[in-house]
Amino acid sequence: MPLAVLLVGVLPSALAAGILPRLVRLAGALSLPIGISVALVSIFTRAGETVLFQIGPFDATLEGVDFAAQIIVRLFVLAAALTLFGLTTEPRAFVVDLERRGLPPRLAFAAAATLEAIPTMIERALAIQSAQRARGLDTEGSLRARVRGVMPLVGPVILSSLTEVEERSLALEVRAFGRPGRRHLLWWLSDSPSQRLVRWALLAGLVVLFAGRAAGALPALP
Amino acid sequence: MIRCRGLVHVYPNGTRAVDGVDLAIEAGERVAIVGQNGSGKSTLVRHWNGLLRPTAGEVEIDGRAAAGQRVAALARTVGIAFQDPDRQIFAGRVRTEVEFGPRNVGLRGAALTTAIDAALDATGLTDAAAANPYDLGFSRRKLLALASILAMGTPVVVLDEPTTGQDARGTKRVEAVVADLAAQGRTVVAISHDMRFVAENFARVVVMAAGHVILDGPPEEVFAEPSWPSLASTYLEAPLSARLGARLGLGSTPTDASLIDALGGATAGG
Amino acid sequence: MLELVDVSYRYPGYARLVLRDLNLRIDDGEIVGLVGANESGKSTLCLVASGLAPASVGGVLKGSVMVDGAPLAGRPTHELAALVGLVFQSPNTQRSGVTGTVFEEVALGPVNLGLPVAETLARTREALALLRIADLADRNPAELSGGQAQLVAIASILAMRPRHLVLDEPTAQLDPEGTRLVGEALRALAGTGTALLIAEHKTDLLDGLCQRVVALEAGAMVLDGPAAETLGSPKLEALGVEPPSAVRLRRAAAERGLTLPAGAAA
Repeated sequence: MPLAVLLVGVLPSALAAGILPRLVRLAGALSLPIGISVALVSIFTRAGETVLFQIGPFDATLEGVDFAAQIIVRLFVLAAALTLFGLTTEPRAFVVDLERRGLPPRLAFAAAATLEAIPTMIERALAIQSAQRARGLDTEGSLRARVRGVMPLVGPVILSSLTEVEERSLALEVRAFGRPGRRHLLWWLSDSPSQRLVRWALLAGLVVLFAGRAAGALPALP
Repeated sequence: MIRCRGLVHVYPNGTRAVDGVDLAIEAGERVAIVGQNGSGKSTLVRHWNGLLRPTAGEVEIDGRAAAGQRVAALARTVGIAFQDPDRQIFAGRVRTEVEFGPRNVGLRGAALTTAIDAALDATGLTDAAAANPYDLGFSRRKLLALASILAMGTPVVVLDEPTTGQDARGTKRVEAVVADLAAQGRTVVAISHDMRFVAENFARVVVMAAGHVILDGPPEEVFAEPSWPSLASTYLEAPLSARLGARLGLGSTPTDASLIDALGGATAGG
Repeated sequence: MLELVDVSYRYPGYARLVLRDLNLRIDDGEIVGLVGANESGKSTLCLVASGLAPASVGGVLKGSVMVDGAPLAGRPTHELAALVGLVFQSPNTQRSGVTGTVFEEVALGPVNLGLPVAETLARTREALALLRIADLADRNPAELSGGQAQLVAIASILAMRPRHLVLDEPTAQLDPEGTRLVGEALRALAGTGTALLIAEHKTDLLDGLCQRVVALEAGAMVLDGPAAETLGSPKLEALGVEPPSAVRLRRAAAERGLTLPAGAAA
């Protein structure tokens, strides 16, 4: 079942968006580490009858391999779907659309600002690293030296971020961010009948899947 | 002491910040580097302690190539005090903060204590040695960042915009530090936007624009009228004393004192 | 008109009065400069004059701050935003971080005020035109120079059409070109009848810009008069403020018994 979702839904969409190789790489990076560890455990511990090979006291069963394969596929599909969303959605546009559909402006801002915060923090961390290296902090030496360098690197990042928070929030208040009530946004996401159709179809499909599982018509994991 | 030959630096995003700079600074010189934001000043000095490596060209510090040396090693020779003190302060006490640099370059025991005491004294922070850096105002925190570098005892001290955000007292303190370093025979290089500060405290001014050095000489030369078009190309203006001196036909008068002297001479001469 | 009457202020949790018995009045169209050593209370005065202290920052305010006769006390911060705008010194912290173009960034204030789209567009265009940065409208706010970013910050506040504008060291982090741009923009702005209060270290900038200059020392106002008078006062250096270049030169000449030729210092 998940394989069907992957082949019919996720991968063609990725192909259409031109991001298929990136999607596969990212989804793989997300899902495979966990997938492989789960697989290793379940191959050897799953109760089963057909033993394929043995390593010490552990039996690798066919049922175990089957289970492991299913887990990996499901994890990959999950990761692929999430990655598809992440790669094809512009965060700012997404947040704006949420606000249009009723999300309070403050939450919308918080979401958008969080996304922006990362590049800023990276820039800050790099500036701090430069300053401390100029004071002789060794970032290219032994592991012990690098461990000793954590506080001088992390401390100022946190301290200066906190100090800046006050000024940032004042600057936001001055722009009337705290005002209750809705805003008349200048920008909107364009929607089309075909997009709406796909959204309804997906929702309907989800309902069918839930109903099918509840009615016992669809297979569960062995 | 510092030699750059054909230095080029291109950032990963393609910006050609330094585009072929040849510069030689001898030990004991007092040099100011000026130019608009984006002219390459900050990029240039970061090559001197290895924070940046050249895309092309060579950098030599104290006779040895910078290329093979780690930043931690070069930091024993070239100390750079950056603009924003809040991007380096991490200790809970002023003294502990100042201790960080000299400890890293190997000072211990009596030598360490002396170095810290001297640095605190030079920056007027002796009375605040036990205070939390964030209990000091911005001016004094900036001086603290300066003290942290001074205590390292490096032969070369580079100051990145030491007077930005400083009030008059803080600026006077910085000027005293520069004079003190020069008296000790150490090399001082400062990046600054304050032309008056530059003219009054430095014997040599290097003007940068678009990654090149376009002027290099004493203030009398760099701020004299023939240089004004070059200064204007990097959106700089000579100090008022220089402009007045030129207007009054008194020759090149980059500092207040030189203008007054010239005025006195002119008046006396009749 | 922006007026502070017998204002004293202390921050929450601190006993020390950061501002003491201040009286200040700024008329429409007047540009008043504010000087003083670091830690003299300049930034606090800016926060109090804009109403953010105590409305947002907390603390205890005695006396009253009034805009056109109406007190700011007790008003919610978003209302204050439309009465008195405040510009800080760091272009980075004033950038909202949630917009992709300068136009959106400047429009953000009016949008937050809940204004209809047509009104927002009109005000944004007006603010950009006044500061002569209409050509930056499509640029990414995160990729501007310091001077440009500061102009965008000022425009963002102007788009909200505050009655008055307070600026706390707006050119502190700018190079000479950026400083010049901001100075020109403020000159243009005063012409529109907005009252301006500018805290600065750069007395040369204030010299050509302000009609009046006031000086703070340890939270108290010690000088208040025409720009030439305050900036030429012998007390300035004792207050930890660097006099403008012209004043310095005149004084140095006078010490030697010389006078600068009239009209030379300009």
